[in-house]
Amino acid sequence: MIKVLFFGPVAERIGKNILQTEHQSDMQLQDLRANLAQAYPAAFDIVCFAAVNGEHVRDMSLPLVDGSEVAFMARFSGG
Amino acid sequence: MADAVRIQTEDFSQDEEIAALKLSSKRMGGVGTFLGCARDFSEGREVTEIRFDIYGSMALSEMQKLRSEAIEKFSLLDARIVHRIGTVRGGDNIVFIAAGAEHRAAALEACRWIIDELKQRVPIWKKEITPQGDAWLASHP
Repeated sequence: MIKVLFFGPVAERIGKNILQTEHQSDMQLQDLRANLAQAYPAAFDIVCFAAVNGEHVRDMSLPLVDGSEVAFMARFSGG
Repeated sequence: MADAVRIQTEDFSQDEEIAALKLSSKRMGGVGTFLGCARDFSEGREVTEIRFDIYGSMALSEMQKLRSEAIEKFSLLDARIVHRIGTVRGGDNIVFIAAGAEHRAAALEACRWIIDELKQRVPIWKKEITPQGDAWLASHP
């Protein structure tokens, strides 16, 4: 399973903070993003960053291993 | 002593943070600080309160990396970063950064660098609660 986390404005548009999705062989971060963007287009309009296991990821071709924790995030506004 | 990097709901004491920073070295000739506060007015609207959402484990990890990177980049003797979450109101403290160096230039430049990087890298989001409705805040320059 892949655990997907959402926060702040993205979570609000999706209507939940977390979802679980089946891991598939040869799955890349961009595949997960594409699937979720199709299901939640309004939320993914504002997604700017992705993280895997708590680390920023810019390479969307990153392979996802089973058990990964992924976050798709809007622009930050802390500070 | 409290950790040098923290995320907490309660307010912090600037005096206690600076005292803890100064304990780390007596070679410290300059301490630069930045205090970020909640405003009660934003983009033409009164703001009743601000609520935070946070990716807690990643935010703490990113803030710890920021501190380490700043210490190395600016040859700091020590640095501290405290960020509040939960709910705050106009005038309340949100974030405090203190950087200690042998001389003032490094301390001041490090403070500016840390807050700018924090806004770019640390997964925290503010929601402004106003009489006209609620709105997630876009990042400010």
